[in-house]
Amino acid sequence: MTLVTKGLAEVKVHIIGMGIVTALGIGRAPNSDALLKNLTGIGPLSLIPTAAGRPLPVGEVACPDGGDDLPRTHQLARLTAEQAMADAKGAPDAVVMGVTTGGLLTTESLLKQKARDPQLYCRHATGSVAEDIARKYGCHGPALTVSTACSSGAAALKIALEMIRSGSARRVLAGGADSLCRLTYHGFNALQLIDPEGARPLDAERRGMSVGEGAAMLLLAANEPDRAVAEILGGGLSCDAYHPAAPHPQGEGALAAMQAALADAGISPSDIDYVNLHGTGTIDNDISEARAIHALFGSKKPVLSSVKGACGHTLAAAGAIEAVLSAVCISDGMVPANTGCRHPDPELKLVPLLQPVQKQVDTVLSNSFGFGGNNAALVLGACGKHTRKTIKKDAQPMAILGHTCITGIGRTRTTMDRLALGKGCAGILNSAEIAANLSPAQVRRLKRFPRLVLSLAVDAHKSAGEHGTPGAVFLGTGWGALSETADFLERLFETDEQFPSPTDFIGSVHNAAAGQIAMQFKATGANLTMTGGDYSFEQALTVAGLMSGDELDGFLVLAADENHPKLSRLFDPSVAEAACPADGGGALYLKRGVHASAPTIRPLFFESSQNNSNVLHNLSKAIGKQRSFDERYGVILAGLPAGCRRTAAIQLKTLLDMTGFSGVVIDYRKFTGEFASASAVAVVMAVDFLRKGNIPSPLCDGSEAVLGIKGVLVIGLGDYFTAIEVMNP
Amino acid sequence: MEKLIKELQIKIVDVLNLPDVQPEEIKRDEQLVGGKLGIDSIDVLEMVIMIEKDYGVKIDSRELGVKVFASLKTLAEYIHANTSELPH
Repeated sequence: MTLVTKGLAEVKVHIIGMGIVTALGIGRAPNSDALLKNLTGIGPLSLIPTAAGRPLPVGEVACPDGGDDLPRTHQLARLTAEQAMADAKGAPDAVVMGVTTGGLLTTESLLKQKARDPQLYCRHATGSVAEDIARKYGCHGPALTVSTACSSGAAALKIALEMIRSGSARRVLAGGADSLCRLTYHGFNALQLIDPEGARPLDAERRGMSVGEGAAMLLLAANEPDRAVAEILGGGLSCDAYHPAAPHPQGEGALAAMQAALADAGISPSDIDYVNLHGTGTIDNDISEARAIHALFGSKKPVLSSVKGACGHTLAAAGAIEAVLSAVCISDGMVPANTGCRHPDPELKLVPLLQPVQKQVDTVLSNSFGFGGNNAALVLGACGKHTRKTIKKDAQPMAILGHTCITGIGRTRTTMDRLALGKGCAGILNSAEIAANLSPAQVRRLKRFPRLVLSLAVDAHKSAGEHGTPGAVFLGTGWGALSETADFLERLFETDEQFPSPTDFIGSVHNAAAGQIAMQFKATGANLTMTGGDYSFEQALTVAGLMSGDELDGFLVLAADENHPKLSRLFDPSVAEAACPADGGGALYLKRGVHASAPTIRPLFFESSQNNSNVLHNLSKAIGKQRSFDERYGVILAGLPAGCRRTAAIQLKTLLDMTGFSGVVIDYRKFTGEFASASAVAVVMAVDFLRKGNIPSPLCDGSEAVLGIKGVLVIGLGDYFTAIEVMNP
Repeated sequence: MEKLIKELQIKIVDVLNLPDVQPEEIKRDEQLVGGKLGIDSIDVLEMVIMIEKDYGVKIDSRELGVKVFASLKTLAEYIHANTSELPH
């Protein structure tokens, strides 16, 4: 779809289809029946064999194996998508999902067996879940994956909400899914965050959570009240910028997310009839959330409960599952109990609902908080009860005030100097050099990926000079923290599941690195980590375009990937094809508005190229309706991932034939090497070319190309077709 | 006890990857967590695993952890009192 569209004048976002799978059952009716009876779905783990000790209580889904070698997260997602799309005609314009474990359960078994065939790992990626759903329902638009640990599902719905409000999509299938796996089961246990008796949120005796699994998908639509179950009125995101794993003790981030959600919905705390708490059952979460609730509602608190004593904590699915349950509350007039809690903790001074009640509910606030201090809150409302509609104004351009990259040979200057000679910069920069701009205390627990990310963020901000500090962070990564994941699993297997590392677990979540950036800059705004393989930077930029408002704060958009000696080759088909290992990334420090001579960046286009015969035509239309290719761009930086190089080369040739583009085309992966976020380096190259006003001659077959007023188009090819333009103001 | 303390000093620096800290700088009576060594709650969990792995001693609640990890001395004493795998 084209990402440059005029906002609809007035938008209401209706939920016109829903699907849900939890430990309580498959589908809406079994879940609401179980909640009405105050039942719990939590019981001893049976899905994964455990080596020693009694299996801990979990929220496991009784789900028949769908076969087809499809990882369990994908199966759970398909079950719910089927329910959500049951009455829908036509494909959604986009799919947005929150996923943190993805195909990990399958990957763990394969790694344990020491399987070496990359094909077996083809559905490892968190992003492969949304792509699978998009393919199944013929969605040609973007399939975005947000991976912000336990707030992912709610964050995905907020992104979908903004897509519809912006007018770039009319219908979005959005939600979250995560299956149980060894990493989360043993990881949370290593953090001593599991209640051996099963989760009892808000109870005086609570000792932690129960890890769960599940999925929920919601079909959201612009202005379709006739078929709607409920409306999504608003969403708010924030970051604690406080600690990698523990919530802010006073609940500051939680409060900020709830306030942002209410402001976004245009309502006040007194309008809320029910709060669906994050309420994991850990000592710290429940205290922190209780303090935030006190600060927001004072003495006039609405009815409150957490469903995590019934479903367990379903991680990336939780926010979407609870959005579905909130919509059920509104449509059925039922509020679930705080299952598992018998004696509310007097220290919390909260009175959760101990038995379900039947009562009219018009407006619900639903909370989701995660590792990395990533918080999200959603407001859902009954249809027709809320008059406010969103009027979207056109956003200001995104100006690039700072830019930086890391490649195999060094940072921006070294990289650009080498490129100017027409030479490549693929390789693996040593870890100490990556961390050269960071203090030893800062990086003592950070392995390769978070070092890359934090180093890039610090440099991009520094290169901007005096332009404040970032409030929001949008990170893209194809594969995330591979070293932490590999080390955690290796030690888990080596020690017969006895002694996994808590530090590696905390570091293994995809969004841990963005959490480090937030702590570095006290960046308390939206903090989103997007994982979409070779298009992860494009996803981060797309989301930044939707979420960063016209506020004065700067924000970071960046992407990075580490090359892991074992895992990269197994997971990333382009790495498997590469002549030499490579990694790195690129980062931009941006502000809205026009800033002197700063170039601007715009995500233009994002469509699947599979079964989408119109994709090139659509791309050409999206760009060409402004001016012809030749008039507008001096150079195209084309991303042809080695894993699908033949297809990508045909796509590129067709595009060039179709547009008649006669300028310079640079096949940038030949210079950066093969890694998922190479396009972030390409964008930094584009900024550098614009700043210099020309493209070094060795890159254009010997004749120096002057850019003049022309800009740079960075395109991504392969399974998806993406376009980003970088222009002089 | 002395041997155990020396061993713990080395293990803590190693496991926690403490930059610019020499093993002997972890003093037996000084505050172990939240002090100038920079050891925090995540490090405590990492030490819990190390102690269970190397000495077979479980420290499985936060209340117990606060007492045991008060100082290097309290940690060594707790391990000494509860282990059957002391170094000789």
